[in-house]
Amino acid sequence: MLNETYDVLIIGSGHSGGMAAKILTEYGIRCIILNAGPVADVTRHAERKPAYELPYRGFRPPGQIEHVFQSNGFNANVWVDEREVPYTFEPDRPFNWVRVRLFGGRSLFWSRQSFRLSDYEFKAKSHDGFGEDWPISHADLAPYYSRVEGILRVMGAQDGVPQLPNGNFIPDDAPWTLALQKFIAVAKPRGIPVCKQRRAQGRDGLASSVNLLLPDAESTGKLTSIANAVVRELTVDKNTGLPNGCNFVDRLTHREMSVKARVVVLAAGTLESTRILLNSNLANSSGLVGRYLMDQVYGPGVLASVPEARKGNINAWMGSAAIVPRFRNITSKTDKFLRGYAINTTASVDPVPARNFATYGAELQRKLDEYNGSGFYMTIMGEVLGRYENHVRIDKDRKDAWGIPVLHVDTKYTDNEFNMAKDAVETACELADAAGFEVLSKNDKPNPPGYSIHEVGTCRMGDDPKKSVLNKFSQSHDHKNLFVVDGAQFASAGWQNPTTTILALSMRASEYLAGEMLRQNI
Amino acid sequence: MRRRDFVRAILAAGAAPKILLSQQAAAPPPPPAPVPWLLGLNSKTPMPHVEAAEQVAAAELRFFSPQQMATLTRLSEVLMPPVGEKPGAVQAQTPMFLDFLIGNSPEERRRVYSKGLDWLNTESTKKFNADFAKLTDAQAGELLKPWLRTWLNDHPPTEEHADFVNIAHDDIRTATVNSREWFAAPQVGAEPRTEEELYWSPIQPDLSPLSSSSASVPPHVQAVPPSGHPMPSYKR
Repeated sequence: MLNETYDVLIIGSGHSGGMAAKILTEYGIRCIILNAGPVADVTRHAERKPAYELPYRGFRPPGQIEHVFQSNGFNANVWVDEREVPYTFEPDRPFNWVRVRLFGGRSLFWSRQSFRLSDYEFKAKSHDGFGEDWPISHADLAPYYSRVEGILRVMGAQDGVPQLPNGNFIPDDAPWTLALQKFIAVAKPRGIPVCKQRRAQGRDGLASSVNLLLPDAESTGKLTSIANAVVRELTVDKNTGLPNGCNFVDRLTHREMSVKARVVVLAAGTLESTRILLNSNLANSSGLVGRYLMDQVYGPGVLASVPEARKGNINAWMGSAAIVPRFRNITSKTDKFLRGYAINTTASVDPVPARNFATYGAELQRKLDEYNGSGFYMTIMGEVLGRYENHVRIDKDRKDAWGIPVLHVDTKYTDNEFNMAKDAVETACELADAAGFEVLSKNDKPNPPGYSIHEVGTCRMGDDPKKSVLNKFSQSHDHKNLFVVDGAQFASAGWQNPTTTILALSMRASEYLAGEMLRQNI
Repeated sequence: MRRRDFVRAILAAGAAPKILLSQQAAAPPPPPAPVPWLLGLNSKTPMPHVEAAEQVAAAELRFFSPQQMATLTRLSEVLMPPVGEKPGAVQAQTPMFLDFLIGNSPEERRRVYSKGLDWLNTESTKKFNADFAKLTDAQAGELLKPWLRTWLNDHPPTEEHADFVNIAHDDIRTATVNSREWFAAPQVGAEPRTEEELYWSPIQPDLSPLSSSSASVPPHVQAVPPSGHPMPSYKR
């Protein structure tokens, strides 16, 4: 066993790695998956508890995950500990890097919103002249999107909006609640489309690599998996110059080990895949590995209250959610910014958080009683432009717990993103006012880059090897047996949650790879 | 059978419905234990009953000065007094908890509190010629109300003084609502509920950040143990 050479080494077991494993093993190709963390077993590692039994009453443990705003005392231990795997940035350019190293990675915890990119994203440069077009279009990816939507069991409606292509959905026929009806009535005359949410139902309430993809790969008998394998760098065949496996460190024992494979598929998540490439000095003839880091603007938004839903009148009015797909720079053009944003819209039945009332004590409690279940949330998901200067590189002075050089992130938003955020909040307030909703709180300041957990780019795909790292099949321009199948390959970010696109790209790349291997081209 | 599986099997048997047990014709022979004494850990074994240390033990002031603590205590009392059946922040021991939480927090958060508490007491002395801790509810309200803002999650006010007042208010509320005292009090109407969720314990924690000689620490798990449940497989 020790000197066995596998057909394909897959690094990472999230959605992208799980999809690669499923497709490749179903073609009879022998794969080995390395995952940097352990297997999470809910029967063993998780238990329902009240906050007072936690070490910090539900607050997140200080210092452990300062940049994971999504975390709390309950889930603190599922995220990568920033003391263990640090990363660096200049103090005035913070970046929130939100990571999970459990088997299945972030696919265990994603929000399950499942949107296709449209040709407004794939061919963005052709529309507005900025950046680069992708080397593929929606038509190239559409068959893969459909299969992915089938696996994820995406529920949605065929809204027929060109910037949000239809898909292979479980139909959502539920009527809109009254609050959404009122919202739609004021949005439509303004040319703002309102669509049903599109969410992966998964199986048993989970839509993860762990339950939807990896079991299929395992059942072929062609998959070997190793947990707690922290990859140090890829190794290279001295004769051919091609990657031929990797060196890794056992997370617990710190024992240095290695595996060999004919093909390497990186699926460690956008920035970890890039970190491995940079630490390996591979695939970088373009000099663009690490460049064009993008994500999405999150944080700006408005919380309004629906007056009719107050004082317990919740059921008819509240409870549905909608997606307002990008509407700026589609048929009309704004001179304030390029591209656009979507608005996540939720008529929430939950209590309105206390911070939305400038009062305290008994008076605050009266407000909470009155406004309970009347919250109408509008939050932005805005496209961040791909810029050369927004990049990651290796920080030579800092190493993680296993002695692997860490990443330095150097990225910031520009006026394009800030203006977009302002426009989104103004528009949301205008819609709330028109619908007769009371605006309680608003914010037009973006969260630090990275917060959306939609970091993409840094190994972008393209037809020109001088302007891109990967070709249209997610294959390195430099090394034909090296693929990157996660978010790193994105040529533009779009406003859409990237998971469905990552899955479709990984599926497409894996089928191409399988074909090339069967034809013995790789 | 691995040791953990064995313990769980025994615990699970203890929790099984009686009907299952009644179907057993005779008491089965005890399962072989990997270590004989583990047979003593069965469903009838009395488990030690323990109290939360916070409920029975005293904690020393570690971070705030006595003056700051007096200010924070009065601030907690004013911002979150007992309402209805629910305890106030002081009854929920929130000030001492915040001494622990903030004292362990990054410098930036500590500074917001230290500076904020000192500022509040200075204002009180200027305006009422008395420490904040001695102010009436109305006087305290006069100092605090101009600084209260409405804000969205992750975006507290950045304006000086408003940042402290609103962040402290939010922390005081969270710490109080998540206390054992709040949980134990009867729930009426739309009062916030103590958060109750799935808690993930550390999963095969790596000891390396804690120990420079971690390579010499014997790992407690060498490989991933088999899962407690089979991986699901679905027809497509």
